[in-house]
Amino acid sequence: MFKSSTKNLSLLRNFIEEKAEAFGFDESSINQIILSVDEACTNIIKHAHKYNEKENIEVDIDSNKNQFIIKLSYKGQAFDPNNISSPDMKEYFNKFKVGGLGVPIMKKFMNKIEFSHLNPDMNSLTLIKNL
Amino acid sequence: MEEFSIKTKQNDDISILELEGYLDAHTSVELEKCFEKIISEKKFKIIVNFEKLSYISSAGLGVFMAFIESARNNAGDIKLCAMSDKIYNIFDMLGFPILFEIYKEEKTAIEKFS
Repeated sequence: MFKSSTKNLSLLRNFIEEKAEAFGFDESSINQIILSVDEACTNIIKHAHKYNEKENIEVDIDSNKNQFIIKLSYKGQAFDPNNISSPDMKEYFNKFKVGGLGVPIMKKFMNKIEFSHLNPDMNSLTLIKNL
Repeated sequence: MEEFSIKTKQNDDISILELEGYLDAHTSVELEKCFEKIISEKKFKIIVNFEKLSYISSAGLGVFMAFIESARNNAGDIKLCAMSDKIYNIFDMLGFPILFEIYKEEKTAIEKFS
């Protein structure tokens, strides 16, 4: 369980690194997982919790054969990354846009992203990476 | 907590920012303030040296996007250099080399301003 604050992103990354390394990923895959979880949690802190540090993000690591599964549970506004289409990067750069790159990074680096709105005030975002 | 720091130096009219450590949604605020200060001083030729940067997330990328237009509209630019493969791969995967000039060495980035 982490307090929902960007101050804790480094702690979170260290936690994910340790678990992903123990699961047997190579350095490149570990970096991809760390970045994806950072992006997911940054979005939760920013959009679902609006930087309210009293909120929490529960991080559970699980595995299923060759799958490394990171489940993030949090209260607040529901947000399914699967409903977000990746930006047209040519247009993005032409218009000097800012933000909105967290979801494309997650989609590129993880094999599967699942979202569920468990009850009116609890969301679950699951990131899955195959070994 | 993992650290992030910025060293700034001036080479004639070029401002050079040396980034060190971890650039994420928390530490990117510091980089944003640094850019705001440089731009407010009407210094629009900027080089960012990534040699000592270990990590970047999209919050860090957003800072460069936020200031590139302002730099270019004032006869300047933000040129990037000395990235590790790990950092370059993130920029490259998202297509940043379309918009940003990225050089292996700081020396080359300086030469490109002249």
